Amino acid sequence: MTAPRVEKAVVPPDHLPIWDDPHQALYSQVTIELDKCDGCRLCAVVCPANILEMYGPKDNLKVRLKADVSGCMSCNNCLAVCVAQGVFATEPYDFVGVYEQKRIGPFEFPRRF
Amino acid sequence: MTDTLDHDIRNDIEALEALECELEATEQVETAHDRTLRRRTAVHDIEPGADWNDVEHAILTRRSIRKYKGRQVPAHMVRRIIEMGRFSPSQGNCQPWSFIVVRDKAMIAQMEAYCAAVCQGMTAGVDYTNYPEGSEQRAAIQANTQALNRDNLNSFHPVPMTAIKSIANGRFAVFHKAPTVILLLVDKRGVGVPDIDIGCVGTNIVLAAQSLGLGTCWVGFSKLLSSNAALCEQLGIAPPFELSEAICVGYPIGNPTQQTISRQTHEIIWWEGGEKQILY
Ligand SMILES: Cc1cc2nc3c(=O)[nH]c(=O)nc-3n(C[C@H](O)[C@H](O)[C@H](O)COP(=O)(O)O)c2cc1C
Ligand code: SF4
Ligand code: SF4
Repeated sequence: MTAPRVEKAVVPPDHLPIWDDPHQALYSQVTIELDKCDGCRLCAVVCPANILEMYGPKDNLKVRLKADVSGCMSCNNCLAVCVAQGVFATEPYDFVGVYEQKRIGPFEFPRRF
Repeated sequence: MTDTLDHDIRNDIEALEALECELEATEQVETAHDRTLRRRTAVHDIEPGADWNDVEHAILTRRSIRKYKGRQVPAHMVRRIIEMGRFSPSQGNCQPWSFIVVRDKAMIAQMEAYCAAVCQGMTAGVDYTNYPEGSEQRAAIQANTQALNRDNLNSFHPVPMTAIKSIANGRFAVFHKAPTVILLLVDKRGVGVPDIDIGCVGTNIVLAAQSLGLGTCWVGFSKLLSSNAALCEQLGIAPPFELSEAICVGYPIGNPTQQTISRQTHEIIWWEGGEKQILY
């Protein structure tokens, strides 16, 4: 059995990610809805990339991204621990060029069929 | 000819269904080998929109855990989840796997240090943003990175590259400081695509762990260990086995598995009744 010959697709340079453009090199965005955050710290504790920190007065703590935010891995553990659902969310993948995602639909929570 | 065959099959099905009812009625027989397990799910169809069952629940709440408590997982729990891996499907039932369990702090630290060093080397060689703009060095490395990227679309995906950067600068650990690491080895002589079998084993392991309240994370970066012959020998990775993947196991910090998250939907092309539909 011989494997079918596959021509290697030539990817034009402008379809490859450019590492100096954060939009192309990073792949997720974190959204924080401050009015919903009650400062419980859970997300900052579980964030594996350690990119979240608390700030503000003790009675009104809020979460924010650390100044240098590269490294969010879009794991959504922050969303999963936040009890007030939707307080904290990531806008996960937005790949460009050759990595553009295809044949996809919107994000959905588990659907019961 | 077809008629009689169909008839025979119908008879067989009826006989089987009767047998299934009988089996369900029998009490579980206690044996040393758990050969007769009580059937926990009904054989009839569920109603649309029915509640999640235990397996579905484990699938939906599992998250990759990358922060662990210091407490070690009891050995019998690790044996138990690997046992679930042992009963996964494989091509030709050839079960092309073997396991290495590392619970030794010094050994895990050694594995971590080596992988981090490789990541540092990798970023130095490909991350041209580390060099001043307009410099010759930056241009040369950028050209090199683009060439590598074009030929290795999977390895140079923005996701692993971002992670490699974080590992290199010490912000992200390869093995997540987990108390137990299971290395999944693949027998390269396995039927078909043996690495897929490893995927099945690992899936069973992480789901079983989730159902027992343990946190897990797959570690693809463990592959970096393969380039360290001495460490491989010390660990026990030798032909015909290769390191395929690793899974960290421990107790999660916080409780990231208490709620589900949303996920991308994907196109499903659905052929039925002579019609083609596209679902998501
Ligand atoms: C084969 C495989 C290898 C992976 N390797 C890594 C890894 O090296 N490091 C890591 O932090 N996560 C790794 N992951 C975990 C994925 O990042 C994770 O499954 C994905 O982001 C989805 O998140 P979830 O598992 O929490 O649902 C791996 C997953 C798989 C299936
Ligand atoms: S888990 Fe939610 S409420 Fe708690 S600090 Fe994070 S965003 Fe705020
Ligand atoms: S998605 Fe994961 S890495 Fe990103 S901010 Fe949330 S917890 Fe941190």
